[in-house]
Amino acid sequence: MKLTTNEATLLSAVTTPNSEAARIARGLDMFVVAILFFAIIAAFHIHIMLTVGDWDFWVDWKDRMYWVTATPMLLIFIPAALSYPFMMRFGLPIAGTLCAFCLVLGEWISRIVGFHLWTYFPYSMIWPAIVLPGLMLMDLVLLLSRNLFITSIFGGSAVAFAFAPANWPILAPYHEPVVHMGQLVNVADMIGYSFTRTATPEYLRFIERGTLRTFGGESTLISTGFSGFVCMILFFVWWKIGEWLTNLGTIPNVMKKHVGLGDDDDEK
Amino acid sequence: MAVTHDEVGQAKAIAPFKFNLKPMIMGMIVLAIIFGGARWYQQWAAWDYGLDATDPMFDKYWMTFFWAEIVIEISLFFTFVGYMWLTRDKHLNNVKPREELRRLMLWVSMLVVYAFAFYFAGSFYAEQDATWHQTVVRDTSFTPSHIMLFYMSMPVFIIIGFTLFFYAITRLPFFARKISIALVLVVCGPFMLLPTVGYNEWGHAFWLMEEYFTVPLHWGFVFFGWTIIALSGVLIQVMKYMVELLPKVLNEKGELTS
Amino acid sequence: MTTMKSSKRNALNVRAALIKSVLLMVLMCVTGLVLAHGERNQEPFLRMKTLHWYDIKWSVENDSTIQVNDLVEMTGKVHFFSRWPEVINKPSTIFLGNATPGPVFVRVETYLDGVPMIQSTGVEMGHVYDFKVILKARIPGRHHVHPMINVESAGGLVGPGIWITVAGDADDFVYSITTRTGTEIANLGSYAVPNVIKWHAIWATVGVLWLLWWFRRPLIIQRYLLVKQGSWDQLITNNDRKIAATLIVGIIVTLIYANNITKEKYPRTVPLQGSKAHVDVPVNKYAGMVTVKNLSAEYYLPGRTVTVKAKITNNTNSPIQLGEFTAANIRFVNHSVPAAMKGVDVGYPDELVANDSLKVSDQTPIQPGETKILDIEATDVAWETERLSSLLNDPDSSYGALLFFYNAKGERIIEEIYGQIIPTFID
Repeated sequence: MKLTTNEATLLSAVTTPNSEAARIARGLDMFVVAILFFAIIAAFHIHIMLTVGDWDFWVDWKDRMYWVTATPMLLIFIPAALSYPFMMRFGLPIAGTLCAFCLVLGEWISRIVGFHLWTYFPYSMIWPAIVLPGLMLMDLVLLLSRNLFITSIFGGSAVAFAFAPANWPILAPYHEPVVHMGQLVNVADMIGYSFTRTATPEYLRFIERGTLRTFGGESTLISTGFSGFVCMILFFVWWKIGEWLTNLGTIPNVMKKHVGLGDDDDEK
Repeated sequence: MAVTHDEVGQAKAIAPFKFNLKPMIMGMIVLAIIFGGARWYQQWAAWDYGLDATDPMFDKYWMTFFWAEIVIEISLFFTFVGYMWLTRDKHLNNVKPREELRRLMLWVSMLVVYAFAFYFAGSFYAEQDATWHQTVVRDTSFTPSHIMLFYMSMPVFIIIGFTLFFYAITRLPFFARKISIALVLVVCGPFMLLPTVGYNEWGHAFWLMEEYFTVPLHWGFVFFGWTIIALSGVLIQVMKYMVELLPKVLNEKGELTS
Repeated sequence: MTTMKSSKRNALNVRAALIKSVLLMVLMCVTGLVLAHGERNQEPFLRMKTLHWYDIKWSVENDSTIQVNDLVEMTGKVHFFSRWPEVINKPSTIFLGNATPGPVFVRVETYLDGVPMIQSTGVEMGHVYDFKVILKARIPGRHHVHPMINVESAGGLVGPGIWITVAGDADDFVYSITTRTGTEIANLGSYAVPNVIKWHAIWATVGVLWLLWWFRRPLIIQRYLLVKQGSWDQLITNNDRKIAATLIVGIIVTLIYANNITKEKYPRTVPLQGSKAHVDVPVNKYAGMVTVKNLSAEYYLPGRTVTVKAKITNNTNSPIQLGEFTAANIRFVNHSVPAAMKGVDVGYPDELVANDSLKVSDQTPIQPGETKILDIEATDVAWETERLSSLLNDPDSSYGALLFFYNAKGERIIEEIYGQIIPTFID
């Protein structure tokens, strides 16, 4: 595609090494990185905490059914939406990785400063899930394919397929069986029981409680498969939402005469 | 085109562009002090005076804090936004490109402060609320956690957001000529998180009595949180602005021309 | 000039009015909502018609000091009211626990009628269950410790509480268990945390390196224009593609490897346990012994007094006397009934027992087969401090309470009473 004169001038200016233009452009880069860093932590974190937060907060919510099914689905919204501007406007296939890093950083800060130092919940109870491998795979598929459909299918589903395997190495120790008061539970149950949550009792946990139909305990696989399917669709949908939000236009400014602009200034 | 000695001499006289980082750094330091101080106050006063809303000490240490917040924030909102409007540039059709670049960069740098404030509301104090609900039986809408989240962190970024919005439409011709929908979303979407508290409290009073964070009555916050994705729209508009503005102050060798 | 001034003044007035109205709105929210939540703030008609806790005993006295790692035992009875409020779920799913400020105590054991309560359970209304809660002190401080039952859809319903000061150092707290597979967990609160941090650090490092790989290049303006120009070879180089392909393989191999070693290390795991414990419905040993009917009830506001007129029939073989009226954890004891007075243990929280005696219009025992109409008067500031008087703000002006009767041998018979309650505002 051909650039306009202005664009060509600017491209030539900012690509001149050590020039003022390159310095100004780099300064802008730094500002934008900082804005994105804080804004993504905030937006992605509030989205995750209020949609699948409880599973992420508590070790005794991290089950084979809801946690594994719902978390990847909700993880994909914002990274998919940001993938559009990142990739299609700046050629940067890093939206997923950046979102994952920012989310987990925000979560750790909150778990340490809020959950542990303020309200005394132990670390074994409140660690966040690992989300980076799946979202990074999504980025990598986008990088290699540069194709929305391929990324929806393989990248979207990767978020779900990588979720349980990424977390099992840290969750497994908590699923060792324990007998307490003559009852069989696992270590995670035991932690949840021991360290009192006044407002989230046992029955409030959305966890797998059995259905007679989970085919010999393959719950994790079944959940992952379903989640992968939904993630494919969600990647596509949220990419489109990202596209829409990136290309938003303008509305007339009725107050512009107060700042010395007339109607003819519209076309400038 | 041949370059005369005079022109070279002029080019040398042009001062290099300086990023004015002071407002951004000051802003972030002030915010860090406010939010850090609030967190310290929580650690000190929440356990001793914040567990029972019917205790007179709760009124003294928490409700006083709450009322002070409300008064200060409303005053600051009108002061900042009013200042931006009253001191507006009344001749935006006649701004020198170099000045425009300075303003734009300052504005972008202050977006960092906005995002920093949004971090405290959307992440730090928001998730912390989940844990305070696990220490008490919910007995008021004004817990030590809510007082910091809904009535401090949220108003702080709302004040900054609206101030920046008014800065843009009063000092940056590009954003003054037409109102950017993306910018409106980036400012008004997060603003709507505060009115959403109404839905949240209604829900907790009449609908869902139990505390888990993923209840549907919290999804209002999620919805308005999404609007921050429109930052990408603002970024694209800033790019268009740059394409329009930078060639006026730079030549193709990347040197400043004015 | 004048117009400018007056318009300025007008603007100021408008602003002041705006601020005032916002403040007023907030104030309305405050007063409206403060009365609508939580322990003391739960609506009285709900509190009085849900759980009634009695015979509560703590292994330590009110306001005593214990050390980190010391155990506290709470026992007693909890009565599930038979006229359960229509607006909340029946207690078919409940969880027994403790109302403490979060995990300042560790919950060691809990039992309802002897059944371990590590899981949730369901109970029948109109029945009384024994409970036992054993806690272990963890975080130093002065804490209010109550038994509590969470009822699905209603939230936590709190029993009477005492103050316990925990002294010592939180770092000394230990809670060790051994798993069924033989793993000895020295401290449940820090178990397997280094492994969590290790894996988080590994993935964060990969992510950060990948981000730096991109951030080191000119990002925004240049790439925006290159995209416009369609120069994808410059935007994503062959090198990038090679590294991306390697990373895909690397991530997948790491995941497979990590899961294989995890499987080797933890060959036996069980999922989260989500079953419900079953507690047999206890026999109501008081059934039919006394018939109680509410005739009228009034709340006399200035005097903080509840007056109940009740028709009481004694169906037992021995004379009985009314010894106690208890509602929402507040006890009004008839001082002239020695057996009732004995029921108030030393160390029971003062604020939950009315100072004045329960006044009963006729103190003579109700004979076997006899029916009497009694005026019962319960006066205490607790109606106010425990916010029970706020029932005047409720959409359902009714009350519920338990009446404790005692016979000559000191045996106790408990019966429910409930009905409408009418306010009296003036002397």
